[in-house]
Order: sequence, then structure tokens, then C-alpha cells
Amino acid sequence: MSRVARSSPPPPGPRRPFRFPDFRRERLANGLELVVAAVGAVPLADAVLQLPAGADRNPLERPGLAALTASLIDEGTALRDGPTLSGTIERLGGSLATRADWNGAEVSVEVLARDLATALELAAEVARQPVFPPHELERLRRQALTELLRRRDQPAVLAEEALSSALYPGTPYGALILGDETTMAALSRADVVAFHEGFYRPSGASLVVAGDVEPDAVRTLAERFLGDWSASEAALPIEVRPATRAARQVVVVDRPEAAQTELRLAHPGVPRTHPDRTRLGVLNALLGGKFTSRLNLNLRERHGYTYGVSSRFVDRRGPGPFVVAAAVGNEVAGAATGEILLELDRLRQDAVESEELAETRDYLLGVFPFTLQTHSDLLGRLAELALWGLPDDHFDRALAAVAATTPDDLLTLARRHLDPDHATVVAVGPAATLEPQLSRHGEVRVVRI
Amino acid sequence: MTAAQGFPILRHRLANGLRIVLQPDSRLPLTAVNLWYHVGSADERPGRTGLAHLFEHMLFQGSLNVGTNDHFRHLQRVGGVANGSTWYDRTNYYETVPSEHLDLALWLESDRMGFLLPALDQHKLDTQRDVVMNERRQRVDNQPYGRPYERLFELLVPPGHPYRWPVIGTMDDIASATLEDVRAFFETWYVPNNAVLTLAGDFDPGAALASVERWFGELAPGPRPQRDSFALAPLDAAVAETVEDSVQLPRVYFAFRIPPFGDPEWFASALLANLLADGKSSPLYRDLVWERQLAQEAACYVYPTAQTGFFIAIATARPGVEPAALADALRGHLDRAARPLPAADHERALHRTLVELWEGLETADRRADQLSMYATLFDRPELAWDEPGRYTAVTAEAMAAVAAERLGADRQVTLTVLPRSAQR
Repeated sequence: MSRVARSSPPPPGPRRPFRFPDFRRERLANGLELVVAAVGAVPLADAVLQLPAGADRNPLERPGLAALTASLIDEGTALRDGPTLSGTIERLGGSLATRADWNGAEVSVEVLARDLATALELAAEVARQPVFPPHELERLRRQALTELLRRRDQPAVLAEEALSSALYPGTPYGALILGDETTMAALSRADVVAFHEGFYRPSGASLVVAGDVEPDAVRTLAERFLGDWSASEAALPIEVRPATRAARQVVVVDRPEAAQTELRLAHPGVPRTHPDRTRLGVLNALLGGKFTSRLNLNLRERHGYTYGVSSRFVDRRGPGPFVVAAAVGNEVAGAATGEILLELDRLRQDAVESEELAETRDYLLGVFPFTLQTHSDLLGRLAELALWGLPDDHFDRALAAVAATTPDDLLTLARRHLDPDHATVVAVGPAATLEPQLSRHGEVRVVRI
Repeated sequence: MTAAQGFPILRHRLANGLRIVLQPDSRLPLTAVNLWYHVGSADERPGRTGLAHLFEHMLFQGSLNVGTNDHFRHLQRVGGVANGSTWYDRTNYYETVPSEHLDLALWLESDRMGFLLPALDQHKLDTQRDVVMNERRQRVDNQPYGRPYERLFELLVPPGHPYRWPVIGTMDDIASATLEDVRAFFETWYVPNNAVLTLAGDFDPGAALASVERWFGELAPGPRPQRDSFALAPLDAAVAETVEDSVQLPRVYFAFRIPPFGDPEWFASALLANLLADGKSSPLYRDLVWERQLAQEAACYVYPTAQTGFFIAIATARPGVEPAALADALRGHLDRAARPLPAADHERALHRTLVELWEGLETADRRADQLSMYATLFDRPELAWDEPGRYTAVTAEAMAAVAAERLGADRQVTLTVLPRSAQR
């Protein structure tokens, strides 16, 4: 009935070239790395000051310290109080935010490009001269304690907490970024001051700027606001050694009235800088990193167990977790866990068909320009180079490594880096329903909250 | 700042009524394809809620020439990114592809616009009903404050108005949708003359238009679907209710009816929402979170809905704070807004809104979606570039007038959510 030949997909037109945008990368005399990309599609600029002050530097007995410190630095400096700081940048239409994650702390600013000087001045001031007013410390401590209270409402956070403590006991990774009620209540202003003193340092830090900017002018601004920041090395984070496990275990966090179960299956993975990391991205995309992944086609499209399932290798300086995550119906949590285990086993047993590998490989290669559409996207990529100490041509090399990946590579990688028999399964939901379903996947421990 | 004068657009209409918008821009070798069907949950009937959204899922289950999971498979194979979404007033489908694969995207979209029904079957529907029920659990039933938020709209919107039920529908209605419902929905709404197709990105307009004509030109139009639309006047008396949920902290919702998206008063309401609550230097944050510490968080926003708009204010209480005290404090801010607010706050809200608009114009997919929206709702895609001007034109007096006439205490729905008694 159609006058057009529709039975097979039309062939592509001529390929249009893509090149990673130009950027400039250098180091100030005090060790601070500066990365700048001029992309002028819109009159905006973003900048991020990355500091070696993440939660992986928390002293073991003080989880939450990196997060509390990062949240406090913009609540008052030697020159301005918190409301003046936020009022100054927001009146320009911009924003300034501070945060800590596992790998670092950061001060990020987004402004109209014409206001970049003000934004960088404030970012530098916040990183270098916070005064940690005691009343702000107490206010943010109360806010953090309230967030910790609210994790009972958030099954995904409960799942993360149960996984962290199961995978990484006795290490900084074993807690939530905010720690827990006891440790958050105990942190002192002296702790915060010492953490800032130790880790908010130009050595090991980077300033990354992308947007409608002029690289020489950015360099001048960086020298003006950060060039006289005295250099001294920040201490290295302690090495994280995950727990070893003799058998698979199941942790059920009981939420008796939950309408759904937050399900995780995880084990320790590899550090971000592991030589296999790039090709593990191919393995993961095929397994659970895209809509047409094996896990999603199985759990969602074949069985209807979930709205979506995904897997990932979480990037950390130490061996971050490999995690499979899905919210599933309470009645099918055991069956869904079985299917996840099956998919992990399949990847370890049989080499993938070259067509399936080609689909995954070509997706990763083809989608790359899409992930660089905005100046903020580009900023994120350049920040990765600085954070992990990757070479300038890292992304070109990574794409080449993706293109060269073979079915045998994936089999080797799966056998080396997927370990379903020693994984930890976490299910947050009604224990009475979950325990009988999950007991066949490992010894079940029920946690009541 | 006048945005986007560097983004020229071209318009066209096929003989079957499909409206085409083209926005060429060659900075990256990508093309965004965006298709709006003018049908959403507001076109459903009670007892059949959630059908528009369930239908959206079915549109990814293959068509005559595209296998069950092959829509995503074809697109991902070439590095494309695809999805769809359903809203009260519309359903959109979109993909961004490397430009050399534009024909692939058009082939896929035209196949499901023209040839969906032969590929529909009961098994696919059963699976997607399960998926959507899990989506509902994940987004609503297993979310703190999820069910109370649906209750808020039952208080705000009268029976008989289609904004009363949630876009995703009720669990019972999702469970009872039949293949016949899905077929009828397709035949009524998924016709070329009820859709807008926008391309934004790196393509040659002449060649692209020829491709569009080739893939979509032969699809038959249907009767232009009719819809009733009515704006809601503000409530004439305050409504208040208290409900419980499995949460740790009490929360207060205020909700109001405002004019529909596109109206000057809607833009004034949207700017006022940003003025009140956007950023740490906003009055709500400064007062409720920072100074008096009554709230853990506070927010204001408006709904960009086509028949009638809504203004929502939310504050979550700190432990130990009485919800009534928080509600009084929040109400105080709306009362003060009935007179012009400080110029510094106005300036912050406008500048932050303009920066957000710039960010929205940076990607081809966002530009395409904006163009489809203005083409669908107003038949004028070029209005997408007028938003900075619309916000800039809002005066302090206009915001005060909105607060006085639309956001008064006597026009307010108040929903207070308390932690379930057992958990207190």
C-alpha cells in the first residue's frame, strides 16, 4: 500500500566529520591546572574549581566531613557573608554552588560570559578564604541531620547506604557522603577548619572554564585570583581495600508498606585509572548501559518487571562499585534478581556475537558528539581530564580503544571484572514478601530501620 | 538580550496537513527530529486515564516495518538518542542522530505514524502495562509525597476538567486498558494533520524537506480531532485539607489557578515564582530556610499548561516546626507580593530566567522541542524566540497584580501532608 520502499532502513548519507573541540591546558606556578575551551554558541560561561578535598579524604572516624566542609565554604568568607555572596552572583543571573563527592570537592559557577571575572573572583574567595561562621555550621549541621532523617523516605538512598557498608566496611567508602546521625552530630568547627587547611590547596587542584571566553583573558583572571595561592601538597587519600566475600549475600532493608522494591546487585569494581576501564565501558553498555542493553531488554521489555534497569562501573580513585540497579515490583524481586544473575553469567560464559558488539560499539562512537553539545557538556569532559590526570588526547584514544574492542576482549573482561557469585544483593522493600523470594540467591540478612 | 535572532526558521505544510518546521544550524554534525502530536492526558476520559501515556509506550513497540525493539536498536546503532514523553496537552517523540542518518529517523517516525496497527498485539500491551505500572510505582506510589501531590490536583481542578487526573493515570485504569482502546486512540489522534514535525541541526533544508515529503507525504490525513478547552477561573473560596503519607517531615502545598501558558499573566506568574524562590538569595530561601529556619526547602513554580495554568508553592517543615506556622510564613510572602517587590529581586529573577533561556537554546533537541510546542499550541513556531522578550516585558506592577488577583488567600488550595501517625 506504500509507494515508498519502507521494508528496510534507508542507507546513511555521507558521514560528517567531528573533531573534539580545541582547548588550552597549562599549569600555574603554584601547581594549579588551568583548562580553557572557547565555545561561543551562547553568551554564557561555566567554570569549575576542582579541589582534592573529596569524601575519600574523610578520616575514618569522621565520615561527612568533606561534605560539611564543602557546604560551608560559601556561607561566609573573610570579605562577605553568605547572603552577600549568593546575592552578588545571582543578581547577575548566575549561580555559585559548592559540593563534595567521593573524588573531590568543587566550586562551580555559571554566568553570562561578560561576568566571568566576578564569578572567578567569588569562586576563588570561597575556596581560599572561608571563615566557617559557627552559626552557619550549626545551621548546616541541622540541615544535614534532617536530610539523614529523610533517607527513610528514599529507598534509593537506603539501598546505597546498605551497599556501601556491605562492600566497603572500615574504609571511607563504607558510609554515605553525609555520614550518619552520630558522626554528623560530632563534627566540630576545628575538624572543618583542619580539613580545609589540609585539602583546599592549589596543588592537585584545577580550574576548568568553558564558554564564550578568550583563553588569554581567562589565564589573566586565574593568575589574579588564584596565582598567589601558596603551594603545598595535599595528603593522599588512604587506600581503599574492599571486603572480600566467600559467597553471595543478600541484605533486605525492611520497608513494610513500600509499593515497590529498590533492587541492587553490586560488587567492588576497578579504580577509574585501571587500564581496562575504557573497554569496560563497552561491556557495561552492552550489559546495562543503554536502552537496548541485555538487562533492559530482559527485565523491562521481555518481563515487564521494571520501568528500567541499568548497570555501571562507578568511577572513583579507589575501586568504586559495579552496580546493577532497578526498581521492581515487590512480587518479582526474586525473579528479577535471577535474571540479572543470568545475564552476568551469560557474559562470562559465551563470547557475544559480533553483530551485538557492533551495535554497542557504534552506539558509543556515534553518540559521542551528542554528549558535547553544550559548553557545560564540554566543561564536564575537560574536568574529567584534569581530575583523573588523563592526557590531552584521552578521548580520541578512548574512542579508538572502543572501536578496536573484540568479542574475545569482552569475554576476558567479563571473566576478570564481573563476579556474580560473590556479589551483594540489596533489596529495599517489604521483608515479609522479599525474604522468601531472595533466599535462593544467598544468605539473607534483614535490616530494620 | 534578544535571544536567537541567529536561528532562522523555515515553515512548510504537507498536503496531508503535517506541519513542518526547519531550523538549520551547522555547528555540530547532528540533527534533532522532534514530533509533537496534539494529544495528551487532557484528551482522555475518566475511567480511561493514562491511555495517552500508555500509548506512547506502545509507539516504541514496533510498526509494520520495524520490529518490536528495533526502534531504539536502529537509532542506537548509529549513535542516536531517542525518547518520548507525555504531558497534559501533547505527546512528543524525538531523536537526535548524526546528520547522515536523518532518513533513518524519518523512516522510523513515518512508519509508526502510518503503519502502527498491523504490529500491535495483546502480548506487547500486557508487557507495557506492567512496565507502566512499575513506572507509576517508581514515580508516584513509592515516592515521598507522591500520592498527596495527586490529591492536590483533585482539590484544585473540578470534576469534569481533564487536568484533574495525573498524566500517568490511575493504577486501575492502566490495568484495564484494552487493545481496542489503543487502536481507537491511534485512529483518532495519530494523524498527520494533528502533528508538527521539527528538524533542528546540521542539514540542507531543501534536501531535508524532500526527505520529509518522501516519507510522510503519502500518509493519509484523518478528520481533524476536536477538543474542548476551558480555562478555569480562580477558586472563589479557599480549600484546605490535611493528609498523611509515609514521610518524615510535614509539607505544605499552596496551589492556585492562573491563566494558560502564553498569556502575559502566565509570564508574570512564572517570573514571580522565580523571584520568590529561585536561588539562595531569593526571599523564600533567605527567610524560611536561612533566617527563621522553618523550612528544609521551599519552591515555587508554574505549569506551562495550555487550557489553564497553575501556580504551586511548596515548603517542607524542619523537624519540630508546626506546619501551620510554616504555612503562615509562606502565606506572608504571597501577601507581600501583592505590592511591587524590591527591584533587586526583580532583576535577579529576570537575569536568571534569561540565562536559563539561553541554556535552553544551546542544544538542537531543546530548540526543536520549543519550536514544535509553539507551532502546535499557537501555530507560530517563531514565538519560541520571543520568550526573553516576554519575560523582560513583565513589570513589577504586573507581578503584583497577579499576586493580588490570582494568589490571594481566598483563592488558595492548601494541602498539608503529615507523617503517618504511626511514624511520629
